[in-house]
Amino acid sequence: MSWIVIAPELYFLGTAAVFFTLAMVPDTGPRRSYITALALAVGGVLVSLASLKFTGSFSHVYRVDLFSQVFKVLLAVGFFLILCICSELNGIRQKNHPEFYLLLSLCTLAMMMLVSSVELLTIYVALELTSYSLYILVALRKGEDTSLEAGIKYFLIGAASSAVMLFGMASLYGVTGETSLQELLKVLPSFAASAMVIIGLTLTLSGFFFKLALFPFHLWAPPVYEAAANQVTAYIATATKVAAIALLLRFATLGAGSRYLVHVLAALAIVSMTLGNLVALIQKDLKRLLAYSTVAHAGYIIIGILCMSQAGFAAVIFYAAAYLMMNFLCFLVVEKVAQDGRNVQVVELAGLHSRSPLLAMSMMVGVFSLGGIPPTIGFTGKFLIFTAAIEKGYFYLVLVGMINVVISLYYYALVVKAAYFLKPEKEGASIRLSLQLKAVIWAVLAVVIVGGIYPRFIYSLATAAAGLLR
Amino acid sequence: MLTCIVGLAIILLIPPERKDLIRWVSAVFSGLSLLLSIYLFVAYDRNSGGLQFVEKIPWLKALGISYFNGVDGFNLPLLLLTGIVHFTGVLSMWEMEERVKEFFALYFVLVTGVFGFFMSMDLFFLFVWYDVSLFPMYPLIVIWGSTRREYGAMKLFLYLLAGSALILPAIIYLVVHSGGGGFDLLKLMQPGTFTPFQQKFAFIFLYLGFGILAGVWPFHTWSPSGHVAAPTSVSMLHAGVLMKLGAFGVMRIAIFLCPAGWQYWAQTMAVLATIGIVYGVLVGLTQKDLKYVVAYSSVSHMGVVGLGLATVTAEGLSGSVFQMFAHGIMTALLFSSVGYFHDRTETKLIPELGGMSRTMPVASGFFIVGALAGMGVPGFANFWAELTVFLSSLQVYPVRGVVAISALVVSALFMLRVVQKTCYGGRNERFARLPDVSLGLGVPRIILVAVLLLFGFFPSLMLDMIQTSVFPFMEALAK
Repeated sequence: MSWIVIAPELYFLGTAAVFFTLAMVPDTGPRRSYITALALAVGGVLVSLASLKFTGSFSHVYRVDLFSQVFKVLLAVGFFLILCICSELNGIRQKNHPEFYLLLSLCTLAMMMLVSSVELLTIYVALELTSYSLYILVALRKGEDTSLEAGIKYFLIGAASSAVMLFGMASLYGVTGETSLQELLKVLPSFAASAMVIIGLTLTLSGFFFKLALFPFHLWAPPVYEAAANQVTAYIATATKVAAIALLLRFATLGAGSRYLVHVLAALAIVSMTLGNLVALIQKDLKRLLAYSTVAHAGYIIIGILCMSQAGFAAVIFYAAAYLMMNFLCFLVVEKVAQDGRNVQVVELAGLHSRSPLLAMSMMVGVFSLGGIPPTIGFTGKFLIFTAAIEKGYFYLVLVGMINVVISLYYYALVVKAAYFLKPEKEGASIRLSLQLKAVIWAVLAVVIVGGIYPRFIYSLATAAAGLLR
Repeated sequence: MLTCIVGLAIILLIPPERKDLIRWVSAVFSGLSLLLSIYLFVAYDRNSGGLQFVEKIPWLKALGISYFNGVDGFNLPLLLLTGIVHFTGVLSMWEMEERVKEFFALYFVLVTGVFGFFMSMDLFFLFVWYDVSLFPMYPLIVIWGSTRREYGAMKLFLYLLAGSALILPAIIYLVVHSGGGGFDLLKLMQPGTFTPFQQKFAFIFLYLGFGILAGVWPFHTWSPSGHVAAPTSVSMLHAGVLMKLGAFGVMRIAIFLCPAGWQYWAQTMAVLATIGIVYGVLVGLTQKDLKYVVAYSSVSHMGVVGLGLATVTAEGLSGSVFQMFAHGIMTALLFSSVGYFHDRTETKLIPELGGMSRTMPVASGFFIVGALAGMGVPGFANFWAELTVFLSSLQVYPVRGVVAISALVVSALFMLRVVQKTCYGGRNERFARLPDVSLGLGVPRIILVAVLLLFGFFPSLMLDMIQTSVFPFMEALAK
């Protein structure tokens, strides 16, 4: 067991240290810290890609395998993408910029640890590290009382859900006397009928549902999405979801034998999809709309997880990658349309197609992919999840899911209509994009389309990673 | 289909200012795709039948998906139809000025999806092409449409995608229960792959899902409002080709994969189809807007297709395919003439028009020909198609057949009334100065009329082709 297997974690620890130092230096220009951050993020992607094939473990506490490494790559890519839209960080006070980067890299580090943790306490510690960075990030927004309010709301609900999760973990430990997932997996079947185990599992999962914004733990999402700086919202909506999915997958294997748990998950999935989509129909603020669409997507993801089969898990991993890409496309537009860091109403997208054709196109591809229209990666992801679900005989869940897809297409179509067809009240200035950003956008667009047409590469990677979960 | 993708790529590369160049490129590539579909139609070996011109590339092996295309007697007429309507549609939009590049780009995406859907023999790709051909409708109607376009576009978009929401679960259900057949349509078609219960169950979803697109009553309500809102060539393509996509889906997927479900539900299908025929005629009678008239006549003609499918006989099936082709050409002709009236006079209300044959003799000539074909006058392809369907339906369902035929007789009356009101009557001074159809704009209409007449006088050209595939299928079913 050598240190090299945790290279991505070490790298992001280093990144955090750099920004810690920068935060101490009194007059770092925003430009300088941005360039440092971007360079470090590129490095992060490269390092995590290079360590894709590493394996190893620290006793039963920390495991590095293809599963964790795939998610680390996704997290590093998410970090990089978010930094790409930080060039004008107008939502946050200039002197706080190094802190912003520090918290962002710390949070990424914590999530990387999270996807590798295979022991209850490690999971808890990593999760708290993630959460605390996020609480502060949410409250960092410049000159807005609402962001402070949302930060506190987020913190309170988050703390409560952590407590619930801890309680669940305690029950699991109380029954089995084990904290490592591997050991739990061995002994749990003999306790499968015990109410204590079922309660413990449900409560522990609730903690992760909070991160995923699944009903009924979704209440924080809309206000936090609305109140946080656009970049922070983008980060919460992309990277943290990826980590939450990874954790859910690791944990769901524990409940594989329990019919009861599957029923609970199915009910949550149905309510979450339906509620998220119906409430999204009436949203005017683009970020709130995307928040409710997140709630709905959490429902789709749960369908994949409750299949408890390798195909289902692989589909969920595929979907996590897809979700990262397509959500980024939408938030990119939010950030660029509101360059002064304010929020964006759906109607403000009017005339976007003449202000910046590329942004309008990424908005269209992004929302159509979220809506699951082929040939995009979002369609393929949903297709894989639904296939896995029908293999397990959950025809009704898929039917409900598809009906929800149609509901969601209504508000997605409204967004596209705003971007392409509405006449703006006054002509907005055209939006300039730097050359590097254009390259990044084209690359993400290419991934979304090619991943939809030719999913073989990502899918085989996801299948291999899902195979390690048992 | 490949020509469409290449054409699309080239259109995307041309800067939006070069409108003429874009038009020419679209015309050339749609012409190419027409020539290719004619070539397929001619080169298809009728003696050996079966699936020809097959291309098959494995795609996602883990799930048994492959890129699998082929043509047979079922899809050839429809490919030819798509080629014709595609080409003539591009020509009839020659005068459009607004956002030309995007229009033709979306138009080509749509047609690519349609070609792909007709040719594909793999369920996964069938579904992907199906959705690819649906979603461009929304922008096409919202940007370039007319009457209540936002309402019409959204209604159409949601209805059709709700249809696909029913189809996808059913497709996955069938594939999962096939015992490892993958998504290959030919493998799934082997008799005995599915139990009767599975067939009856999946058939409901497939029939309803595709039936929405085929305009089956009572799921047709998107069709009139969508057609009326759409620009001319989109109406042509939509009523002419896209509604056939639904009927073809019912045939290719629902009937082929679930023959037991087909036989079980045939009675219900026949009832719905008959109601559709009668309803389309009756509602069409009361409309004042010419486009609504044509749209409701589409509902009733698609009912004829549905009735043919519901007979569960070889004749009924071939009649349906023929009717899809004939109706596609006829509706395209009608919509393009109405569109021409609308472009010039800026109205499509019957009372405001009138006397058109004096100001625009050629344009109204096309309209009258289309209306006559729609009535099923002998000499046009529609006559043979409807005849085939009704003969077989009279044997299977005497009462429903008689009701449907009498409804069509009534419809002939009402079409004549519409023709009389729009084209004849006193000279309409308001439009006296408007020019008639120029030669360039006349070409697409002439092609459509010629096709209708060609297959009207030589129906065997088409029926023989269709039957090379229908008979083997029905024989296999009888065993």
